[in-house]
Amino acid sequence: MTQNEDATLFREFEHTGDLGIELAAPTRAELFRRAAIALASLLVERARVTAIEQREIIVEAEADLDLMHDLLTELLALFTVEGFIWRDASVKEEADRALRVTLRGEPFDPTRHVFRGEIKAVTYHQLVVENSADGWRSRVIFDV
Amino acid sequence: MDLLRVHDYLWEIPRFGEMRVPGRIYASERMINELRDDPALTQVANVACLPGIVGYSLAMPDIHWGYGFPIGGVAAIDAEEGVVSPGGVGYDINCGVRLIRTRLRFADIGDRIAQIADALYDAIPAGVGSEGAIPGLEIPELKRVLRDGANWAKAQGYATAADLEHTEENGRFAGADPDAVTERALLRGRRQLGTLGSGNHFLECSRIDEIYDGEVASALGLELGQVNVLIHSGSRGLGHQTCDDHLRIIGAAMARYGIHLPDRQLAAVPIKSPEGRAYLGAMMAAANFAWCNRQIMMNLAERAFMQTLAIGPKDLGFALIYDVCHNIAKFEEHVVDDKRRLLCVHRKGATRAFGPGHPSIPAAVRDLGQPVLIPGDMGRYSFLLVGQARAMRETFGSSCHGAGRVMSRARAKREAGNRDLYSELAARGVTVRARGRASVAEEMPAAYKDVAEVVEVMEAAGVSRKVARLKPFAVIKG
Repeated sequence: MTQNEDATLFREFEHTGDLGIELAAPTRAELFRRAAIALASLLVERARVTAIEQREIIVEAEADLDLMHDLLTELLALFTVEGFIWRDASVKEEADRALRVTLRGEPFDPTRHVFRGEIKAVTYHQLVVENSADGWRSRVIFDV
Repeated sequence: MDLLRVHDYLWEIPRFGEMRVPGRIYASERMINELRDDPALTQVANVACLPGIVGYSLAMPDIHWGYGFPIGGVAAIDAEEGVVSPGGVGYDINCGVRLIRTRLRFADIGDRIAQIADALYDAIPAGVGSEGAIPGLEIPELKRVLRDGANWAKAQGYATAADLEHTEENGRFAGADPDAVTERALLRGRRQLGTLGSGNHFLECSRIDEIYDGEVASALGLELGQVNVLIHSGSRGLGHQTCDDHLRIIGAAMARYGIHLPDRQLAAVPIKSPEGRAYLGAMMAAANFAWCNRQIMMNLAERAFMQTLAIGPKDLGFALIYDVCHNIAKFEEHVVDDKRRLLCVHRKGATRAFGPGHPSIPAAVRDLGQPVLIPGDMGRYSFLLVGQARAMRETFGSSCHGAGRVMSRARAKREAGNRDLYSELAARGVTVRARGRASVAEEMPAAYKDVAEVVEVMEAAGVSRKVARLKPFAVIKG
C-alpha cells in the first residue's frame, strides 16, 4: 500500500485553517469505508500498520450527515482514547440506518507508526454526504 | 462581498439577510483585497446572525477561514438575552499562549542552543501515544484539575503564587463544572496533562531583538538580548471532546429555542438554558485544564534549562510575564451605548487586550495595559503588545492572536516538496526539533501572514501597542 493508493480513496482540498478531504465511492457502504481509511491515513503512515487485531463499532444516526460525523468521531476516539490504529476497514449496512464497521489494525506504537499529526475533531462545517447519478460523495473538514 | 471603508484599517460589512448587526474587520487595504472572496468574510456575516449579538461581529487582522466562526472572530453577546455558541470558542478550548522571561542573555548561551533544544524536546512530550510527564491521572484527581486549574499545579509544586497572578483569570474559572465533562473527554485528557500537542502548537525560545516601548518593557522586566520562552498550547483531547460533546447536544436542542443559523457549526442555545449552562460549566473546566497544562509545561521547561545549563532557579530567573487564552467565551462588563452591560464575549482566535487600569490586569502591570502575546510563524518573530483604552471602546477589549494562515496545509506540504526546512530554518538562526517532517512543512513560515503586518494593523487602529519583538532561536513542535 502506498500514498498513491490512498490518493485514489480520498483527496485533500484547500482549506486555509484546517484540513478538508473529499471522498467519492460507488456505494454508500464504500463511502463510509473510505472515510474510515482516510482518517487512519491522516493520522499515521498506514502502510506501517499491521492488521493483527480486529475492533468493531456500530454507529447509528437518522441522517447520513450525522452518520459520517459520528463514525469519524467514534474512530477518532478509538485512536485517541484506546490507542488503536487500523490499516483496513469493512462496512456493513444494518437495519435502522446503522453501520457496523470492522477495523483491522493494532495498538498504536509511536516508535513504529509514523504519526502525521493530531486531529482535534470532525466538524459539521460544510459537511456533505450525497448520492447522485455519479455515485456517492462526501466532504469533511477536520479541526487540526 | 460589499465592504465599506470605516478608516484605513477598519472595514464594514453592512447588514443583510439575517444579520442582526454589521460585521467589522480590522485589516490593511492590502489584506482586505486578498480577503474579498474568502469564505472567512461570509463567516463574519454568519456570526452576526447570532441572537443577542451586540455592536458588531468583529474580526481581527489575522482572520482566516475557520469552521463556523472565522478564526480571528470576536462576538459579544448579551448575557441575559443572548446565546452561547461552542463554535465561537472552538474545539481547542482555552488554546493560549504564555510568555516567560529569564535572566539569560542570548550572547551567553548561543553555543548551547542545540543542547537546550534537545533538552526541551525530551522534557515536553507531544502527548500522542506516550505517557506525559504527569502520569495518567485517575478520574477523581483529573476532576480536581478541572475544578482548580493552575491552582492544582501550584499544589503539586509546579507553580508559584506569582505565576497564578500573571495568568488570565489567575489560571482558574471558578464556575467550572467538572461533572459536565463526559467520561470520554476525561479519558482523552487523563494522560495529556503537561503535553504540547501537535499542529500549530509549539514552544519557542527567543531573544528580544527590538524594543518599541522602553518604559513598558522595563516595567515588565524585559531588555534587548534577553532570552524568553513562549508556550502555545491548549486543553488537548479533553477540550476537543468537550466541544464536540456539547456541540452535539446544542445542535439538537437549538430548534426547541427557535434558533436557526446559516451554519450548523455555529450551533447556539440561550446562555441561561440548561444546555447553555452545561456547556459553559464544561468549557470552564476544560479551560482550567489548559491553564494547568501550560503551567506544568512552563515548569518542565524551567527544569530542562536548569539541567542543561547547570544553573539554579535564581540564575535562570524564570518568571511568567503573562498567560492569555485566545479561544474562549468570558463574561465581561463593557460599555455599550453609554450603558454598562454584562456580555458573553466569544473570542475564537482572538486575545483579550484590556486597556490600562482594568482591574483584571495584575496589579504590578495594571497601569501599562494587559500584556498581549502574539506568536509568529516559528521563523520570523513573535510580538509582545499591551492593550489600549480604545480596545475597550471598539473591540470589547480584544486584539489579534497570531500571524494567521494564508496557505492551506495541503498547499504548504506541496510547496515544501523536498525542501530541507530544518536546514532552511537553521540558516535563519532557528533550531527546530519536531516529531514529524509533515508538521514542520505544514507550519512553515511561508504558510502564514507576516505577523508584523498583523500587529501593525492593531497598533494603527489603536487597539494594542507594540512593546517588544521576539526573535526565535529554538522551536519545539509536537
